[in-house]
Amino acid sequence: MIRAIARKEFVQYWRDGRVVTVFAIVALLGLAATVTGWSAVSAMERERASAVAMDREIWDTQGLKNPHSAAHFSRYAFQPTFNLAVFDPGLTDYVGNAIWLEAHYRDPAALRPIEEAVEIQRIAPLNPAWVIQIFGPLLIFVLLYGAVAGERESGTLRQLLAAGVRPVSLLLGKAISAFGLTGLLVCGVLLGSAFLMSAEGIERLPDTGPRAVGLAALYLVYLTVFVFLALGVSAFSARSRTALVGLMGIWIAATILGPRIGPEVAGALAPAPSAPEFAARLEQEGADPFWGAGEEAVQRREQVMDDALAEYGVETVEALPINYDGYLLQASEEFANGVFDTMYGELWGSYERQRAIARVFALISPTIAAQNVSMALAGTDIHAHRHFADEAEEFRREFVLLLNQEMIDHGGAEGYAYVSGNDFWRQNPDFDYAAPGIGDAVRGVWSDVIILLLWLATAIAVAAAGVRRGFLREMAA
Amino acid sequence: MTTHPILTHERRALLEDRIQVGLLGLFALICLFASIRGAGNYEALEDAATAFEAEHLEQAFDWRERVVAIESGEVAPEDDPWAGLAMDVAMPAVLAPGPLADFSPGVTDVHPFTSRVSLWRSVDRLFGNYQFQSPNEIRAGRIDLAFAVLFVMPLLMIALTFGALSRDRDSGRLGLLLSHPVSVRELVRSKLLVRLGAVFAILVAALLAGLFIGAGGIPDGERLGRFGLWSLASSGYFAFWAGALYWFVSFNRKSETTALMMIGFWVLNGLVGPAVLAAAAQLIYPAPSQLAFLSTAREVSNEAYRSRADVMQGMLLDHPELTVENYTIPEYIRVSYLVNETVDRAVQPVLEEFEAVQDRRQSFLSLVQYAAPAALAMRSLNEISGTDLARQVRFEREVRNYKGAIARHVEARVLAGERLTLAEVDAVPRYSFRERDLGAVGRSVLFPVGYLFGLGMVAATLARRNLARLQTRFREA
Repeated sequence: MIRAIARKEFVQYWRDGRVVTVFAIVALLGLAATVTGWSAVSAMERERASAVAMDREIWDTQGLKNPHSAAHFSRYAFQPTFNLAVFDPGLTDYVGNAIWLEAHYRDPAALRPIEEAVEIQRIAPLNPAWVIQIFGPLLIFVLLYGAVAGERESGTLRQLLAAGVRPVSLLLGKAISAFGLTGLLVCGVLLGSAFLMSAEGIERLPDTGPRAVGLAALYLVYLTVFVFLALGVSAFSARSRTALVGLMGIWIAATILGPRIGPEVAGALAPAPSAPEFAARLEQEGADPFWGAGEEAVQRREQVMDDALAEYGVETVEALPINYDGYLLQASEEFANGVFDTMYGELWGSYERQRAIARVFALISPTIAAQNVSMALAGTDIHAHRHFADEAEEFRREFVLLLNQEMIDHGGAEGYAYVSGNDFWRQNPDFDYAAPGIGDAVRGVWSDVIILLLWLATAIAVAAAGVRRGFLREMAA
Repeated sequence: MTTHPILTHERRALLEDRIQVGLLGLFALICLFASIRGAGNYEALEDAATAFEAEHLEQAFDWRERVVAIESGEVAPEDDPWAGLAMDVAMPAVLAPGPLADFSPGVTDVHPFTSRVSLWRSVDRLFGNYQFQSPNEIRAGRIDLAFAVLFVMPLLMIALTFGALSRDRDSGRLGLLLSHPVSVRELVRSKLLVRLGAVFAILVAALLAGLFIGAGGIPDGERLGRFGLWSLASSGYFAFWAGALYWFVSFNRKSETTALMMIGFWVLNGLVGPAVLAAAAQLIYPAPSQLAFLSTAREVSNEAYRSRADVMQGMLLDHPELTVENYTIPEYIRVSYLVNETVDRAVQPVLEEFEAVQDRRQSFLSLVQYAAPAALAMRSLNEISGTDLARQVRFEREVRNYKGAIARHVEARVLAGERLTLAEVDAVPRYSFRERDLGAVGRSVLFPVGYLFGLGMVAATLARRNLARLQTRFREA
């Protein structure tokens, strides 16, 4: 019986010009989004590969230079854009993809692609995940708004009842048909993305296989939520017109308003620090308390000198077997690193608080939860960026230490006049970034997964109750 | 029957419909929230810009005081050898938020609006370290008045009008109604007049509230002028939607079909259109690689540093008058100046290419925006608000030119290793951003806004024709 209902629904969809039109538009959009996503990611990766090679070459051929001057010139860490960003670019456009690893300062990631984008891109970013998140539910609602209410209006619900159709069969038959059609679209987009993301030149994210399976499962759950919501609303509505209006309201609240209102309210309740103010604080608090003319800074520098003299068992700086300028510079780095840890901790903390507040809105919009999980699985969320930024910072500290150590060990009395050459630069390591695995990626989104499952359970319960109620009413009539 | 009783009836019906009144109230609330948030964001931006400028002007003033002390003989030149060091000239350049940035923040949340213009920085580093905003917040976008007008208002208009004719048709009352001495055109026009009139009244109230909330009191002339244009543009968008909905209603289809057509149009206009246009603009006119730009700047800097002897020699050949034997200023200062100047010259073509690409994209969008009125309206509203990309590009170009102006003013002193005189310090150019005058903005948005009104009128004319045909059909029946 379930199969018969599903088949009948498919035939009806095929004959309905509105459904065919919507399906064709969404399919075209999915195709365009996939090709655009692939084009953007492959271009970014090509540019990154070229920049990495150039950075190495520039570093190796900088000629004679003081190691600390070289630490100021320093190098860059370039964030890879991994294969799954073809499907869901997430925050890729909104975070910088290059971090300058200079001495004395922890720079934010610069060169955000959104800065080069045209203004209207902010309205609607064309990518495969967005197409599924926004248009998948719309297609489902268009397919199902009359699923039960329409049968009731035309009197066929009573006929079905008379024919011995059980509520669960009707529910599953309708659900399977709508899910089949939408699933076809989603599978097309996923397979298209999978095909294009395996193209040469695009870096593979660790655990790509399990992540892709996770994404498929995520969107299966996400769309199922909307399938049962549609059936529930249709079953509870007296007319298909009422069902359509209700479902459109849900679609707008869930996919258009919710994902915007959540972060907006979060931004109002837990504002991130002002950018110019934060940048100025970072510069001042990392440097002034060590290099300034204040008493605290003078004492701090004296303490460093005392430590150096004690460490090497000598009485004067001149008697030190090392270059003291380099030693002092490294001490300032270690002081500033503590400041950077605290301040960036505040910054990441404010992002986290905003995310937690925005997540509350997932209770009225499953799209928010799905977006969070999707970005996490695709390695394009804030955690993925933070992982990269923290790894780059760790490398910066080791790299600056390496350069300061060169000055400390070999600078002797020459101090800032001491220079190293290309032989030394060529020995210096590269920043080799390894993205975290799937376990680390999904650690921050378990609550979103739970919210989605709650949505699924609620939607199934609503749909089952609605269809049962509809049948009982028809029986009573 | 005249129109008046119909209007009275419709007004009463609207006020008695709790759902419709609730939707109108929700729209008013969203507008109010948008105004308050917009005002808050505007104030934060303004405060940050003002604080930045004040802090750096104070530093510049302190620096000037040291020159005063030298010239007045209060301090001996040898006691403060760095006073008036030409290389140390540093001035703030600030882009204040656009006159109506609280209405439509445009690109203000992703671009730099402050710069410390210093000769120690090459032009590629003039806007360093501003990327601290929450990426999740930027990605989600804001709830501002522009969003309320462009996206929420049409949804409300759809919700209030989709059943204007079709409900009577569905319930079989239409024939009965038209048996009275009233034309279908009058009937529909009266219904739309009351329902859309309520939306327009809220829109006007919301804009006026935004005007005063954002200004924190009585607005100045500039703000009032811009507000007039903004109101005109949003009225144009309202007229476009009113005409389009009138047209959809005139098809006299079933309620759900009418609602589906309207929602489909909203999706095409508000989501698909802008997404496709943005993707097309960026695909047809790809921006130069930001990473390649970065590499170029670093390579040139490295090369100039490596061949600094040649660079110095070249400078002395160009300026034999600057061959001063008794330099008191260390050579690295002149080297830094010349290296930065070399970088500035080398990256200029790339920066020009970035601007040229943006120009080409804007020209392209200026043509194709007519296919997606939401994109057209957004661009117009941003331009009127002073938050468009073109304004930002102009600011960044002007700041780079400003650095050039400072460099020209002090170059001779930098290269000769001499300090600036007080007169020269006082003659250091200041930067201030000049907004485009209201007339220019008005002329620029006149045609797009006129187009919106025109589209609305064309759609209304078509609707009237459809309704006349419908009237004829009813008479014949």
